[in-house]
Amino acid sequence: MTPPDDPPSFERQLELAAHAAHALRQAVGEVIVGQAEVVDQVLWGLMAGGHVLLEGAPGLGKTLLVRTLAECLELRFSRIQFTPDLMPSDITGTNVLVMDATGRSTGHFELHRGPIFGQIVLADEINRATPKTQSALLEAMAEHAVTIAGTRNVLEEPFFVLATENPIEMEGTYPLPEAQLDRFLLKVVVPSPSEAELTQILARTTGRPVAAPPRVLSHAQVLALRALCRDIAVAEPVLAYAARLVGNTSPEHPGAPELVRRGLRFGAGVRGAQSLVLAAKAVALLEGRAQVAFSDVQRVSLPVLRHRLQRSFEGEAEGLGTDQILSAVLEHVPARPEAILRTVQSG
Amino acid sequence: MTELAPSSSFREAFRRWARRVRARVLLRAALGGAAAGAGVGALAAGALWWAHEQALIPWTSLLTGVGALGGLAWAQRRRWSDLDLALYLDGRLESRELVATAVAGAGEDEVRAVVLQRAAELLHREDPRRARPRVVSRWHAALWLGLAASAGLVLAPPAPRPAAPEVAPGAERVQLGQVEGLDRIEALARLPTSDRAQAKRLAELADRAQRLREQLRQGMEKREALAQLAKLRDDVSAEQLALGDRANRAGTDAAAEALSRHTGTQRAAKALGDGDLIEFDREMQRLANQAEQSARQAAKEALEQAERAAKARGAEALSQELGEQRRLFAEREQQAEALRELAEALRSQGGLRPEQEELLREFGEQGSPETQRQLTESLGDALLELSEAERRQLLENLRRRAAQTEGNAPAPGTRRQLEDLARQLATEPGREALREQLRQLAQPPASEGAEREGALGEAERGGAEAQRQLGMPLPSEGPSTPGAGQPGASPGKGGAAPKAGAQGDPNGGKGQPGGPGGGGEHGAHEGTTERVTGEELRAKASARPLPGLPFQGAGVGRAPARPGETANQVGVEALGSLGAAELGGVEGSELPQEYREQVGRYFQP
Repeated sequence: MTPPDDPPSFERQLELAAHAAHALRQAVGEVIVGQAEVVDQVLWGLMAGGHVLLEGAPGLGKTLLVRTLAECLELRFSRIQFTPDLMPSDITGTNVLVMDATGRSTGHFELHRGPIFGQIVLADEINRATPKTQSALLEAMAEHAVTIAGTRNVLEEPFFVLATENPIEMEGTYPLPEAQLDRFLLKVVVPSPSEAELTQILARTTGRPVAAPPRVLSHAQVLALRALCRDIAVAEPVLAYAARLVGNTSPEHPGAPELVRRGLRFGAGVRGAQSLVLAAKAVALLEGRAQVAFSDVQRVSLPVLRHRLQRSFEGEAEGLGTDQILSAVLEHVPARPEAILRTVQSG
Repeated sequence: MTELAPSSSFREAFRRWARRVRARVLLRAALGGAAAGAGVGALAAGALWWAHEQALIPWTSLLTGVGALGGLAWAQRRRWSDLDLALYLDGRLESRELVATAVAGAGEDEVRAVVLQRAAELLHREDPRRARPRVVSRWHAALWLGLAASAGLVLAPPAPRPAAPEVAPGAERVQLGQVEGLDRIEALARLPTSDRAQAKRLAELADRAQRLREQLRQGMEKREALAQLAKLRDDVSAEQLALGDRANRAGTDAAAEALSRHTGTQRAAKALGDGDLIEFDREMQRLANQAEQSARQAAKEALEQAERAAKARGAEALSQELGEQRRLFAEREQQAEALRELAEALRSQGGLRPEQEELLREFGEQGSPETQRQLTESLGDALLELSEAERRQLLENLRRRAAQTEGNAPAPGTRRQLEDLARQLATEPGREALREQLRQLAQPPASEGAEREGALGEAERGGAEAQRQLGMPLPSEGPSTPGAGQPGASPGKGGAAPKAGAQGDPNGGKGQPGGPGGGGEHGAHEGTTERVTGEELRAKASARPLPGLPFQGAGVGRAPARPGETANQVGVEALGSLGAAELGGVEGSELPQEYREQVGRYFQP
């Protein structure tokens, strides 16, 4: 890394970012088998400064992924296992009376920090806690601060929440409302491993414990990369394209595809469009580019928008998935103007 | 060499790339416009070729140029902006919107500098051919095809001319200097008439015929000429049947009924009832020629009764006709008597030849005008062959018979005739006068009505002849009766042929024997024709058309029947719309007598 007294140029920072992304993937890959796209998406969330909701069946390595990432980044890791009886104070922490050595009260209260004070927080099975408890986490996610006994406590940056959801066991769960889901930058669907990946998983996990992954980025470097991500340039046509994409997810939009009008009740909002551009910037950053491409927006559109769409009754009855609808939108909305696109394609 | 700043380096490179791309886009638009113009020009050339305006086809190539200019103008109007062009370049160079971001100038200064530098490097590094827009497309083939089509149409033979519109049947013009038959209609103006109204009608018919002749001389539409001729014929036919009109019908029926009371005048009654004045005149002539005094007297009385009956029913014209017949009857009677006296005188002098005896006997029994003519000619020849002594002897005989008849109170006319005969035989001029008188005896006087009837018949046939000259379709001849002559309904007299007179084909062939029509041609008499029985006959539909003559007017539809009307009239009342010769056609066909009578009774009012 370049010494702090000699700040690298932007060009150099971009190169470093690409290199760091590569190194991170490699380090995580030493522990996690496969799931390259999931790793990438988690990194997009980290770089863009957002939070990630991981959805997948139990045992797919979600927790391991988060833990490994925390180890690679030299960040404080905490885990909260959400259960129905979990209280908000269990997450945020509470003030406790300080006792002396004799066991007598000193008359002073001391903050006993909860797991939310970590830097990479794994909120496991977030949908199992009550909405009240969920809202305590979500407030911290939005504000990057918690208020305990009237005292506002700012969380240490980078504050990165990764929540997991089990889509199978829905009994006794409290599904997150759309307004709260909107606070997650990405919703990453963790797929089941392929047969080859599974074989490799078996080989790694049934022998001796795997060595800890190397530390790739320091706390300061992560913060620097996050700042760099915001500097990535986005041309006006790309911004317009992102806006068109988000606009076409609304059933009221005049040019919305038929699948959207039929299958959705509400589309993505402003926060969705912002997330789209931020995530696209992260993609560009991790690839060492100074500008966002149309393809970046297309690549991030599914994880960014899939949890921001509210299906209609018809959509649910027909079994239309949000990914299916978003694919239709991507196909429906051209990135370039029609005449230019025709000329490009005519070659 | 001074190194350009990234921004200026990028701008220069981008301008160069943009110029190339824009030029090719313009060229493509011009080609597209030219192709469209050539296509339109080919269509226009096709239209001009079809319109036989091949001289104008080369000018359609101008449309190609106009299309090219239009394409250029359209492309210039929709010229890509720098950002559009950058997007195009990014698309073709797969540069992840690097050029577009550089052109848009997005990002902070430091970032923009990096973007510009990378974009400039890209543009310098890449081969411009990668981003060349395609100029020629498959659609541009229309340019060459259109031009080739136009050129081909210039060299192609002219389009076939559309066929001239067909002239409507009968719309052709005919011009005839001489029209046969119309003179017979024009002659109607000179006919003796029974009343002023008829004279006016006949004069009008003659006038129309004259006008038609004039029109045909100057030229007119064939169908118009045929229509006028048909109308003329119909009107002539209606005039022929004037006795059956509203004014005369009751009187005609009453007169016929009066005649039919006497046995000897029943045929005359039939002829009168049919409105056939020619036949009626012949029958009266026959009755007047009869040798038996009582028969003649009975005929005269019947004629007188018929005249009174007609007058009583208000049939003034018929009454006049019957009065003239009565006058003629007396005159004919005297002529017949004189002929018989001459024959008797010759017989008493030396006897008559057997054929003369036969003619005399037939003349006395039947009194037909034909027999009268033959007898007169035969006696005239005998008179001229007499020697001087024989002539004196004949004169003596005549005087003696004149003396003998004085006691028997012969008719005054007869005595005077015999004296005249005796006197004329004495001298040569007298004999010449006698020959003339004999010729007149052979042609007994006809009534005005019969003469008019005959002339009307001639006029009607004249109209048919004119129609034939104009090329009116003729009825097809039956396979079994080529040139067949229809039998005459009754013996003819003079020029007045029967209605269904014998008009034979001179080429002969199997034909039905012609009737005893004296005035018409007899036609070929060979061959036989199947008999037509009454059961098989269905009105006119089964009647044979007259060969060589056009169709008569045919009735269409059905005439409404009303009580008291008769069906054996044409041109009036309910049957007014029927053709004038409809009933005549049935009457003139080979109908068994029984059937005719049955039909007559059926339609008797």
